[in-house]
Amino acid sequence: MDLLAILSIVVEPRILGTILLCTLYGAFVGAMPGLTATMAVALLVPFTWFMDPVQAAAAIVATTTTAIFAGDISGALLKIPGTPASAAYVEDSFRLSQTGKPRTTLFTSLFASVCGGVIGVAILAYATPQLAQLSRSFSSDEAFWLATLGLSCAVFVGGPSVPRNFASLFIGLAVATIGIDVAVGHPRYTFGLMELYDGINFIPAMIGIFALSELLRNAALGRQAHLGKLVVEPLFSAIRDAWREFRKRWKNVIRSASGGTVIGALPGAGADVAAWIAYAVSRRFSKTPEAYGRGHVEGVVDGGAANNAAVAGAWTPALVFGIPGDSVTAIAIGVLMMKGLTPGPDIFTNDTVLVYTIFGSFFMANVMMLLTGGLVVALATQILRVPRAVLMPLILLLSMIGGYAITGSVIAIWIILALGLLASGMIWAGMPLAPAILGIVLGRIVEDNFMVSMMKSRGDLTEFFARDTAAVLGTLTLLVWAALLLRAGWSFFGNRTSSK
Amino acid sequence: MTLRRDFVVGAVLIALAIAMIWGAQGFPRIRAMPYGPDLFPKIIAGGLIVSALGIILEGIRDIRSDRIDDSAGRDRITMLAALSFMGIVALVAGFALLLPVLGFHVAAALVLLCAVRIFGGNWVLAGIMALSAPVVLHYIFYSLMRVVLPWGVLAPYAW
Repeated sequence: MDLLAILSIVVEPRILGTILLCTLYGAFVGAMPGLTATMAVALLVPFTWFMDPVQAAAAIVATTTTAIFAGDISGALLKIPGTPASAAYVEDSFRLSQTGKPRTTLFTSLFASVCGGVIGVAILAYATPQLAQLSRSFSSDEAFWLATLGLSCAVFVGGPSVPRNFASLFIGLAVATIGIDVAVGHPRYTFGLMELYDGINFIPAMIGIFALSELLRNAALGRQAHLGKLVVEPLFSAIRDAWREFRKRWKNVIRSASGGTVIGALPGAGADVAAWIAYAVSRRFSKTPEAYGRGHVEGVVDGGAANNAAVAGAWTPALVFGIPGDSVTAIAIGVLMMKGLTPGPDIFTNDTVLVYTIFGSFFMANVMMLLTGGLVVALATQILRVPRAVLMPLILLLSMIGGYAITGSVIAIWIILALGLLASGMIWAGMPLAPAILGIVLGRIVEDNFMVSMMKSRGDLTEFFARDTAAVLGTLTLLVWAALLLRAGWSFFGNRTSSK
Repeated sequence: MTLRRDFVVGAVLIALAIAMIWGAQGFPRIRAMPYGPDLFPKIIAGGLIVSALGIILEGIRDIRSDRIDDSAGRDRITMLAALSFMGIVALVAGFALLLPVLGFHVAAALVLLCAVRIFGGNWVLAGIMALSAPVVLHYIFYSLMRVVLPWGVLAPYAW
């Protein structure tokens, strides 16, 4: 598809309107402390049920892109990152704001984010069709190893405790076993409930894990952030100064955006890991590393560019292999599957319009973010004054109606409650949620391909390495497992030795 | 992470794994196939047990090296926090139970009335929210998106 054809789809009033509305929605939710980009997408999903696949993908892309940027707003003004992706440089952005430059800081971050997002989508548009060509010849062996490799990467980057990361993954996989199995069509762990025969519905599951768990945490913490006295500079001088600052650091933006896209493509890594790594790299190569953490704009530029580039990067494994790069693309895969589309190499030939609309939407969302993100920055102090007592109850009710709207049954509300409590328990236990999400999404794919390969080989595990590509992917997976084992061993014995 | 928390987490995971294995015993097999629907759940259960043992070992290591994590103290749950948490859980369960009986408007109004109070709003705000938000949300979901929301006790006045 040529560029003109892609643009003609995304400037269609229906798609353009969706992108505009969703960038506004993403900017608002992302700016609110405690409401993450993933939560924004989870709450959006019931609405995408009533859209066609192209419009639904555009809505998800636009919401995420802006929500990740908008996380910087509460970070800069309240020192509470709106999304975890802004945590890496929150100290710098907050201190810069305290010097009387909140808008300049946020506009600098906005320019870096837009540029990072555009670089990310350029890499995405170039790399994914090439990778899709490579993956066309995959059999169940390769598909199994690829999904397992994706899950293993999620465990690797999940958190500091390897056993906890693994536990999170196995919990997700356990949830995915609920429903009729692929081998003989027997219902598993359904407790006689017909509604569970098709498995745990993905949308209530995501709403429970991301929205309800956050609401429960908010209810327990019971805190309302206060802006206090904040000196805000005039809008136009802030834009001018921010543009000047951004132009000085364009090399940082290119470096961090490229790195952020690659990190975003790693399953389970996502925008927050990308921002942390970009911040660390930026500090390493900076002429003034001592200023980091004390209000240095360089860290804000690098982190902001990287996290928005990672949003696009996460779609690479999702589109090519059907393996989500982060929680948001996990939800997106679920939405596309519900609409009868299976992400994977074939989507590039069967649903070319959808794939290229995703690229076009990313580009358009980033361009529109200049406008909507700028608007939210200008109104930030008013937005952050919306009381918790208004926002949280509305989100609670929206979550429940959203789940109910998809299934038309109260079973969805029970699933939201069960998985919300499960996620709260996991947070309390110090487990990351990302491996569990990937486990829920990929559980069926892993099991289907595993069972097909097991039946083909009649239980001979060496057959899993018989084909060349399968052998490479299998070896890579075993290497990741070995690295995980080493890390766990190092963490256990290394810490014990150092403590003596 | 304190030893106690690590032990609780480990024990819960092992219990979950045992329940999965126990449940998988009843899954049927077809003679022609060497592997049945129980294979994958058993592998997952095995993974859960190994992870649980790893978490318990981490806890023992922390105690041996006198590493006491102060995060346990920081997020110690107060009575009010626990009540708020349980309140939201009760609201979700209550909504699931009451929605088919009372209908969307009444159930949603009750949820909002209580939720606003839990999140620190006063009765006036709770009343305004309870009266206005269900009507707006009903219009969006029922009238615009054609979601069949139950009318319940308001069925005689349905439009």
